[in-house]
Amino acid sequence: MIKVVAPGLYTTLQDLGRFGYRNMGVPLSGAMDQHAAKLANQLVQNHENTTVLEFTLMGPTLYFEKNATIAITGGTFSSKVNNTEVPLNNALEITAGSTLTFNKPIHGLRGYLAIKGGFKSENVLGSTSYYTGITHKARLEKGDTLCFTTEKNPGEIKVSEKMSPISFSEDKIEVFKGPEFEALSEAVKMQLLQNEYTVSSESNRMAMLLNGIGELSANEIITAPVQPGTVQLTPSGKLIILMRDSQTTGGYARVLQLTENAINILAQKRPQESIKFELLIE
Amino acid sequence: MKKFPVFKEFGANAVLITWENKIDPLVNNQVIVAEKYIEQRFKEVVLETVPAYNELAIYLKKKITPSLFITILKKNLKTLSLEDQAVAKKIITIPVCYDAVFGLDLERVAKMNKLSETEVIKIHSATEYKVYFLGFLPGFPYLGGLDERLSTPRLNTPRKRVERGTVAIGGSQTGIYPSDSPGGWNIIGRTPLHLFDIMSDPKFLLKAGDFIKFKPISKEEFERNKPKFKNKIHIIEKEGWHYD
Repeated sequence: MIKVVAPGLYTTLQDLGRFGYRNMGVPLSGAMDQHAAKLANQLVQNHENTTVLEFTLMGPTLYFEKNATIAITGGTFSSKVNNTEVPLNNALEITAGSTLTFNKPIHGLRGYLAIKGGFKSENVLGSTSYYTGITHKARLEKGDTLCFTTEKNPGEIKVSEKMSPISFSEDKIEVFKGPEFEALSEAVKMQLLQNEYTVSSESNRMAMLLNGIGELSANEIITAPVQPGTVQLTPSGKLIILMRDSQTTGGYARVLQLTENAINILAQKRPQESIKFELLIE
Repeated sequence: MKKFPVFKEFGANAVLITWENKIDPLVNNQVIVAEKYIEQRFKEVVLETVPAYNELAIYLKKKITPSLFITILKKNLKTLSLEDQAVAKKIITIPVCYDAVFGLDLERVAKMNKLSETEVIKIHSATEYKVYFLGFLPGFPYLGGLDERLSTPRLNTPRKRVERGTVAIGGSQTGIYPSDSPGGWNIIGRTPLHLFDIMSDPKFLLKAGDFIKFKPISKEEFERNKPKFKNKIHIIEKEGWHYD
């Protein structure tokens, strides 16, 4: 068991998402940077969909009551076990009675902690990912206890190709054309793809807002399906990139669609960091 | 003339089918018929589907590409006619207490439309509403069919918290809040039914293609029946249960 001494800024449990209920209006959820979550699980020989801890900018302080094997991935948080720095992107043996703390990351925004065996958490509609109104808990709080299983995962664990951490200097966000892209004027299309944007501080697990839009805008549409990675352009000139907790339908023009990898890269961008879209030719 | 439906790739793992660009029950029927067909026929490659007014998103498993799936769909959907797929109309009755305790904006809706409060209730509960699809919040139904006489602009300042079960009017739409949430619609009543409840079975009361009708109940009936309603959800599902 692990005691939450301090919860950090915004810490949740996540797996790879709640599939199968989007037609009922239930968001997918799941780790924002799925590459980092999968890497963390791979390092401790878990199945890739095993529940991990996701923390944002300020990590939690955790007290281990039992021995555990963990891995920390994602943003470059400086992590200490009993005040001794420990490496990221490695399997770490933690002995009972140890305290794990984090300093703010030098690069990136979100950190992931996987534990060998996986965290035990309420499974609702096939997923343990926290989401207000679906799971009882929405975020970790001081005094919470995190349980984990040390039993082996059922079934064979397929170790696919060895993953490596992504680069945080990447500012190219790969996109496909969205359903309403062709309805934009040539001038708007060009500007949309050439602008350099910065991430707004009004960003969260549901959506990231961009600054630097200029004069861009698009008409509303009849409410239609959207998914994580959908880029919406509003009539008032806001550019919104839907993230993992995105609603399932929306009424703004869907001008671009991020690749899965681009969503992971964007999930690590902090407010004021800049990005550019790069259109993939289909 | 553009020929519908139109097929588009929607990112690397999804396909979008689009019908005529309007909010119309017949257009939406085609979405729902196509959804049922695709779910049954292509289970192997389809992860899940999301219908909306005039579109269907099909999220695919990794083993098929959107372009290949579009080719297959085009061949198959040609032979699919609406008539073959006709399904029994399911009407679910939603009990609503329009009492002033719950209907905080009933007076406003009546005044703005030059009607009495009784007339508002009568008109609102006389119509059958189509559930076009669910979205916005888990279990939130996009309903069609609000009588034009009840159209009321949204509140200037949205409320920070609207209770689960609240029945409201926003512009030319009516809706039911499946959970507590902020909201700017005019509140006219509340249902004791839970549209979405993770503790119930099934967890969702409505689905795309259903019809609903509101039935006025008194405050006493609301309170008396509150505990019972939760358990009735599964009866509705199995037998087309009506509240009376």
